[in-house]
This record gives sequence, structure tokens and C-alpha cells, in this order.
Amino acid sequence: MLRYTGKRIVTGILSLFVLATATFFLIHFMPGSPFQSGAVSQQVVDALEKEYGLSEPLISQYFSYMGNLLQGDLGISYTEPGTGVTEIIGRTWPLTASVGIAALLTAVITGTGLGILRAVTKHRAVKSVISAGEMLAAGIPGFAAAFLLLYVFSMKLKLLPVSGLLTPAHYVLPTVALALYPTAVICRLTGNSLETELRKEYVVFARMKGLSRSRTVLTHALKNAYLPVLRYLGPAMAYLLTGSFAVESIFNIPGLGREFVNSITNRDYTLILGLTVFMGTVVILANLLTDLLCAWLDPRTRRSISGDI
Amino acid sequence: MKVLDVQNLNVQYHTEKGNFDAVSALSLSIEEGKITGLVGRSGCGKSTAVRAIMGISAENAEVEYENLSLDGEIPVPGHNIAMIFQDSQNCLNPSVKIGKQIAETVKNRRKCTRKEADKRALELLDLVGIRNPALRMKQYPFELSGGMRQRVVIAIALACDPRLIVADEPTTALDGAVQAQILGLLRKVVRETKTALLLVSHDLGVIASLCSRVYVMEKGQVVESGTAEEIFYSPEQEYTKQLIKNAGKMHFRTEKEKVKKEILLRTEHLTKEYHTKEGVRDLSFELYKGETFALVGESGSGKTTLARVLSGILKSDSGMIDDRSKNRAQMVFQDPYGALNPCLTVGQALEEAIRKTVPDPWLRRQKAEDILRLSGLRETVRNRYPRELSGGERQRAGIARALVCDPELLICDEAFSSLDASTRDGLLELFGTLQREQALTCLFISHDMKAVARISGRMGVLFRGELVETGRTRSVCTDPWHPYTKQLLLSMPAPDPLRAGRKKGILFREKSTELPGREGGAHRGCPFAENCPYAMDCCREETPDSYVFGERTVKCFLYSEEHSGRRAEGYKMTSQI
Repeated sequence: MLRYTGKRIVTGILSLFVLATATFFLIHFMPGSPFQSGAVSQQVVDALEKEYGLSEPLISQYFSYMGNLLQGDLGISYTEPGTGVTEIIGRTWPLTASVGIAALLTAVITGTGLGILRAVTKHRAVKSVISAGEMLAAGIPGFAAAFLLLYVFSMKLKLLPVSGLLTPAHYVLPTVALALYPTAVICRLTGNSLETELRKEYVVFARMKGLSRSRTVLTHALKNAYLPVLRYLGPAMAYLLTGSFAVESIFNIPGLGREFVNSITNRDYTLILGLTVFMGTVVILANLLTDLLCAWLDPRTRRSISGDI
Repeated sequence: MKVLDVQNLNVQYHTEKGNFDAVSALSLSIEEGKITGLVGRSGCGKSTAVRAIMGISAENAEVEYENLSLDGEIPVPGHNIAMIFQDSQNCLNPSVKIGKQIAETVKNRRKCTRKEADKRALELLDLVGIRNPALRMKQYPFELSGGMRQRVVIAIALACDPRLIVADEPTTALDGAVQAQILGLLRKVVRETKTALLLVSHDLGVIASLCSRVYVMEKGQVVESGTAEEIFYSPEQEYTKQLIKNAGKMHFRTEKEKVKKEILLRTEHLTKEYHTKEGVRDLSFELYKGETFALVGESGSGKTTLARVLSGILKSDSGMIDDRSKNRAQMVFQDPYGALNPCLTVGQALEEAIRKTVPDPWLRRQKAEDILRLSGLRETVRNRYPRELSGGERQRAGIARALVCDPELLICDEAFSSLDASTRDGLLELFGTLQREQALTCLFISHDMKAVARISGRMGVLFRGELVETGRTRSVCTDPWHPYTKQLLLSMPAPDPLRAGRKKGILFREKSTELPGREGGAHRGCPFAENCPYAMDCCREETPDSYVFGERTVKCFLYSEEHSGRRAEGYKMTSQI
């Protein structure tokens, strides 16, 4: 198991390296530069580029960036002179994380609940409604859902605030917009895998033991059915990060996602790279943790790890 | 005192093809503390009847009865009635510790605290003969052997404090030695707890060895009932007579003219061991062209390991395999569903297998059709997916899939063990035909002595990875030389209630080494020594050689020169036991 974890960490670092390299060259091939704008003359731009080392050959810029990255130095933002990229990340991530965690919890709770309901209900109508809801929630893009929610709850009904993250009420709309897709996926995974599990013989046997239906479902079938759902949590984290780009821009939340979108418009090379590396690390770690968690929850693999009884 | 009383039970299935009566006018009564048997061929409605009694009929079944009372109440599963299924493997939740699975039943039934429930679970595990119950409580089902799992299932049934336990084919999936242990356990449990037991089985030997009263079912009706002695010694109905006649005997294959002694495959000192689990050690035997060689042994004796080594799936640790066949050996597995690609139709799967050897698609198709016909499958099966086939059809498709490659050697690993009795008979029939017509060499691995007797010419007996005896099937089965072979044959229940009731020497408690594996790795002496009634001092010290007497080889010191003395010229060895 230690070997497996070590291997995963090494491959994770390699993927991060590839990610940083690819992003580095891609953004430098983008037309424009951090300092270009209508109001500034070409001479000023050239001078600034020289000062920031952007006039050097690309390959030497790459090596100096990677060298700094290895030392944990993400560089200095171009658009906010004097502010380190690390500082910007430190300022923005708590907001993204709080919305993201709220969305994840919402998705896990409602998704699991609806999935169980879909699997155990005897009413065809309930089943169909949940299935249709799943399809709709999975199909509608996050930004479209965000606009729709804004329009209905903030503009028309005037129930919830439009932007910012000041009060708990501010959290509702961005959380819902972000949670929609993962909720649908979790609901589908729980429902399908629980349905398969409920057809198995041990469920019949548990009922024969005299256990109630709800106990059989919750303590027996769900335990075996939930592994695929947990396995999805890693990819779900990745979705929440990318989803935050649109949602934070729309609800005007000063988090990682909005910062990322702005940094691209501004051609803020170091900030784009820094955010990419940071998010990449988060996604890789999340996947590693879910895989380890799943291995631990399955008694077979757990016994092979710990080796004893 | 009457525990269960059923009068005029009718079960009707409503299907798309119309209604049909699965059970009609069934009446039975069960006495307290007695074992009652319900016997009949598979498909006669036994299971439907007991499911109706339990109140767990399928959704399309309509159940009617005049009277159905258990101590004056309606049977409620887990309350006054409990059930033991055939397949203990699937009855236990794979991810819940067995201690919890028993304790939750106790807790649910007695409404007691968790501590009391755990204590009762421990008692129950001890009652069903599991050693070291405190340790077992903390284990998961996959850490237990098949026999132990069935014991746990029985413990769970007892945890319901039922008035009646219904056991539906409780030992059919188990091998001989374990079956005998479980049957002994059931008898002991009934004696000690005064619970009534309704035993449902197609196997008259099982019924005879336990039941005091027997109901015989045919086509949904009870055709005959009475005490075990009445049914087995003076049956009145023709159906019962037939059942009893077929049950007792082993049907041996009629030997045709001597097979040419041309060796197809030979192994010498073949060894493949795992760290602690099963494996095979020092196996030497040969397969002759055109013969069927059977390997029997209890689960964990290394049968599957050997099959995998011979087919090349696993590599041996040491020893030699001399394979003279031209094509690769083909395997038929126990679980045909797992062995067939679910995305391919049967026809596609067959054609896929010969894509390289038969380049012409038309010929390929022709060949697939021929093989399907040979395997006794209908034309239409070609376009079906594995999930659309019945169990028997699927196993036939698995055989067809193996045959289509024109193998010289076919390895069947417990190929028929998971099928019900009548389907199994059909497949054994097919196998006989294939042997006669195709001159196929076959290694048939099974724990089912009756099946082995029916289709094999020669057989070998495996015990903990060692081949303890080989010889002609008929002579090994009728005149066993090795003490283990004898025990294996004795553990098959005979359809004779008086003799079965007196049977001695069956272990009620699981053996300490029920899960094979030699602790510490160091191996000394004969593997069977600790259970052998003939064991001598040397058996525990040294491993016996294989002694060869004509067609028979025995790995036992009873046949050594040191034991039986120097023999005169032309001395004819006989069984020493």
C-alpha cells in the first residue's frame, strides 16, 4: 500500500510538471502580452517587457520559471505589481473552498437521498420524476443554471441577494448552481448501484432475518452500493473547481475562479500558471485521497493492507 | 406437538404465456423438534411451496390456502420462522463482519442490548461448531471457507429463535466432507434447540440421513408421505421407487475397448504453492489420448490451481509438464456467465475464438453453427447474448466456445457444479456423447463423485495439493485403497435412513485446518495423517511415496514394503483398509 501511495505521488508530481509546461507554452503562444493596451505606446510596452524579463528567449524564461517553481516561488503578478501570486491564492482560495464545500455537501446529501429514494420507491411516478430531474440537472450547463437562478430568485422573486458572499443567504444561489451537476451524478450512481445491490441474495436473507426494509437498505445494501459514489468524489472536486470559473464570475465572488478568468483576460502569465499549478495539485490530491479512502473502505483491500485481523 | 400445519396450499404463477399451477393442494404438518423432508426432482415445486409458506413468493405468484399456521400464528420470517438458503456465499453481506450480522439478528429479535446480543452471537457460533468464535466474529465472509459460511448462516437462522427452520438445499453447493459435517450439525442443532426443521432437497441421501418424516413431491403435488422408513423401504408410488433407485447407485461409464495408451500430457513433480493458501505439490500423472480423467477433492485441495497450471494461465514453481497436444488446452469454467463476453452474442463469441485459425468468414460461421448443434443448442441461440440464456444453455455455450478451437485437451473446472440436478444430468449426457464422437481428451475436475463416476474412465484423488490415489474410476469408487478416498466415499449420504442414522465418525466441529495451508511453511508427514484412522508413527514423520500397482497408484505407507513386507513374485496387492 505504501508503495502504491508512493507511486501515485510520483505520477502526480509528473502530471503537475507536464501541466505546468503545457500551460506555460500555451499562454505564451496566445496573442498579446500583459502590458498591451490601447492607451500604452509600443515603447512603454517594450520597456516593461524588458524589465519583467519577457523579451528574453521563451526557453530561458521557461527554465527560470520552472526553477522558481521548484523552490515554491510562484512569481509576482503582472497586473497587481508587488503582489505575489502566492498571496493572491492565499486571499482567494477560502472563498472558493467555502462555496465548493457547501456545494459538495449539498450534492452528497441530496444526491444520495434522491438516489436511495429512486432505488427503493414502489411508485413509478416518483421514479420517473427523479430520473427526469437527474437528466435535466446533468444536462443544463452550470452558467445557464446560474443565470436562471439569478433571474428567478433574485430579480423576480427578490428572495435572495444577487452578488457577493456577505451573509449565509448569499451562499444559496452559487452553491445550488455549482451543486446541480454533481448532485445529478451522485443521484444516478447511488440509485443504479443500490438497485443492483438490492437484487442480491444477501438482501433477501437480511429480510428473512427479520430486519426491517429500511434497516436492510441503510445498513446492508447501501454499504456495498456506496463505493462507486465515493470514487466519484475526486472527479467531483475537479468539476467544482472548473465550475467555480463561471459561477464566481456571475455572482461576483472574489475567489479563485474569478481570479483565473480575469488573469486570462489580462494575460497575467504568472498568475495563470500559479493558479493552474495550485488547482492541479488540489485535484490530484483529491483523487489520491478518494482512491485511498475507497481502498480502505473495502474490507478485502483493507485486510491486504493491514495484513492482520 | 404440531408446529406447522399447512392445508390445501395452492400457488399459481401468472406469466405472459398464461397461468400455471406450481403447487396444488399441498398439505403438510411438521412436529416439534423433528426433521421433516420435502423431496422431489428439481422443478417439482418444492422451492415455490416453501417460499409460499415463508410468505416470500414472487410478485407474479398467487397463493391460496385453507390453513397455514405456525403455532397458531402466521409465519413471519425472522420471528417464528427462519430460512437457510443453498448459497451461503451470497447470503452474507460481503462488507459486514459476521459477528455483527449475527448480533443484529439477535438484537432485532430479542430487543436486547448490544452487549447481550454479542454474547448470544458468540454462543451461537460455538453451537454451530466454529472454533475460536471470538476471532471469527471480527472476520468478513470472504475470510471464511464455504463450510464455515454455511455454519454462520445456520447461526443466523438460530439467532431468530424460530419455531421452524426451513433449509432449502442447504448442502447442495458443498463438497462431500463438508456436506456431511453440515448435515451432522443440522441434526445436532435440532436436537439441542428443539426447533423443527423442514429440509428441502433433491438428494435422497441427504433426506434419508436426517429426516424422520418425508413428503415426496411431483409436479406440484405431494404424491406420497410417511415416515422415512416407510418411504425408503416400502415406497408405494412408482415415482418414489424411481427416485430411490436412481439415488443410491453410482452409474459408471460403460467401458469401451481399451483406449490406446498414447500419452497426451504428462507431469512430473509439478509444484505450485502460494504463501499460505492452497497449491499443488509434487504431482505426477499422465493423461492418455481420448480418455476422461477426473480429479476429485474437497474445496481448497488445489484442483483449480492444477487446472490453471495445465492450461498455462499460471506458471508452475517447479516440476515438468510434457504437453504433446497440438492445440492449446481449452477450459470450461464453473461460472459460464463470467466466462462469456456479455457484449458478444454466442455466435460472435464462437467466431471470435477462431478468427485467426479460420480466415474465411463463411467457413467460420459454418463451423460455429456445427459446434452449436453438437453442443445441443438450438439454432436461435447463435444470435442471443449470454444474459438471455438459461443456466444450462449458458454452460453449453461455454462448452461450445471451448470446443470450437478444436482442442485436444479440454479442462472442465467444476463445470456443472452450480447447475441444478436435472440440468446437470442433461449436460453429463451431452458430455458422454461428445466423448464418444469427438475422441476428446478431458480433464474433469469436480467434487461430485456421482458425476465423476458417470463420465470418467480414470480418476485421481487430490488432498491438500497431493495426489493420494489414482486408478480406474470404477475400481477406485468401489474399492478405495487410500484412507482418504474411503472417507470421501463414505461421506456421501446413502438413501437408507437406518444406516445413515447410525453413521459415525463425522466431525461435528470444523477441523482446525479447514482452510488449507500449512502453518509456518514447514511440511512434514502425510497431509492426511491427523485425520487418518490408520495413521502410524512414520505417517507423521515422512511423506509417503507413490506406490504403483498396475493401474493404481497410492500415496500411503500402508502399501510400502516396510509395512506389508517384501512381496513374493506375482504378489497381488489388495486394499489394506
